[in-house]
Amino acid sequence: MNHFNEEELIDYHYGESVSADADSVARHLRECADCARSYAAIERDLAEIAVPATPVRGEDYGQQVWDGIRGSLRAYPAPERRRWFQFAPGSQWKGLAAVAACLLVIAGAFFAGRLWEHRNPQHPVANNAAGDQGREKVVLVVLGDHLDRSERLLVELKHAEPSTEGPIQAEARELLASNRLYRESVKQAGDPTLANALDHLERVLIEVSNEPAGLSQAKLDELQKEMNTDGLLFEVRVLRSRVQDDVEQRENKPAATKGVSI
Amino acid sequence: MEANDDQIVRAVLAGDKDAYGALVVRHSQSVFRAAFRITGDEADADEVVQEAFMRGYQRLESFESRSGFGTWIYRIAINCALNMVNKRKSATTYQIAEDADPTQQQVQIADHTAGPERTLLSREIEALQATAMRGLTATERTAFILRHMEDRSTAEIAAALSIAPNAAKQAVFRAVQKLRRSLAPLRVTP
Ligand SMILES: [Zn+2]
Repeated sequence: MNHFNEEELIDYHYGESVSADADSVARHLRECADCARSYAAIERDLAEIAVPATPVRGEDYGQQVWDGIRGSLRAYPAPERRRWFQFAPGSQWKGLAAVAACLLVIAGAFFAGRLWEHRNPQHPVANNAAGDQGREKVVLVVLGDHLDRSERLLVELKHAEPSTEGPIQAEARELLASNRLYRESVKQAGDPTLANALDHLERVLIEVSNEPAGLSQAKLDELQKEMNTDGLLFEVRVLRSRVQDDVEQRENKPAATKGVSI
Repeated sequence: MEANDDQIVRAVLAGDKDAYGALVVRHSQSVFRAAFRITGDEADADEVVQEAFMRGYQRLESFESRSGFGTWIYRIAINCALNMVNKRKSATTYQIAEDADPTQQQVQIADHTAGPERTLLSREIEALQATAMRGLTATERTAFILRHMEDRSTAEIAAALSIAPNAAKQAVFRAVQKLRRSLAPLRVTP
């Protein structure tokens, strides 16, 4: 009878048998008292090697780690001819220009222009021949603004304590109105990723707005678990940075493609 | 829809720095646990976690999705933790020989008795173990921790320590042997 040595029995204990498959070791241990004794001793020793208790780190530990290192990291440069980050294989990003164009039609250049002037009083957009690209940029700024506010709302929601009617709900109602507008035009522009995200956002905003008694813990849990607000927060962040990059690209090369300088 | 790790990595590499936060949040706890087990010190473990995620970020372009981000960052963390241990080791002088004399710590097993003897016994076991653990090489110790406490396979241990699978297996075996020997004084039956 071939006995098993200490090393083989230790491998067996950790489920790493190689020289013989686990079944034959098990069979041998049933038949051989010597090996069974050795194995029992190994098991007893290993069972007594305590796993030290790990100190508890709170649920927000990861966020703390991130806050600690975020400032020292530099963003990876976006690809030159940017192919937008894709959520699902096969989904095509058609470019924010289409979205911007649709938003222009619906929201109107006046509204966007006013907002742009408000944000950048020294650089009013010239309402002239070279202004198309500028207006597109304005719309993107407005859309970026919307995503920014939505992101902040979702972050607040994530850390919210149960409360009666509060500022979060008021903000949600405000965002809901503009979100409907954006969602419609984005759908027309044929951008499923952005449209889906805004759709998801709208459902969350409706839930948050429609709680007359305020947000209970149960409601907050439901939002997080069933409506996946964490996933939505991530989507919104990605989209926001996408929009931001596009705005920056337009800022860097205002009208170079047309060979016209403003 | 929760984005998976690969999608987040692609977003980060496309310029979305903040997306990396989701990966940090997702994997910090497991990285901390492993770092603590290896360093044995809370503050050191926290430092290892930060360093691991910083390095992970900087090397993200070399990440290949077949291994999974969790496994990948875990490996980086093990490396950082080992460096930390070695750094500490060279700064401290262990007096292993002095407190490792087994005859001093020999106790009889009070078989299956409950109560104070039992507590005393487990304290003795802990003391012997702690001494024996310090007597292991850094590789043996880490390999054993990964095997025994972190439930990692030989292949994973080998990858984390950048050694051959057989060397990883040997390291675990030597560690178990040494630890068992340290417990031997407790096995003296009356
Ligand atoms: Zn046998």
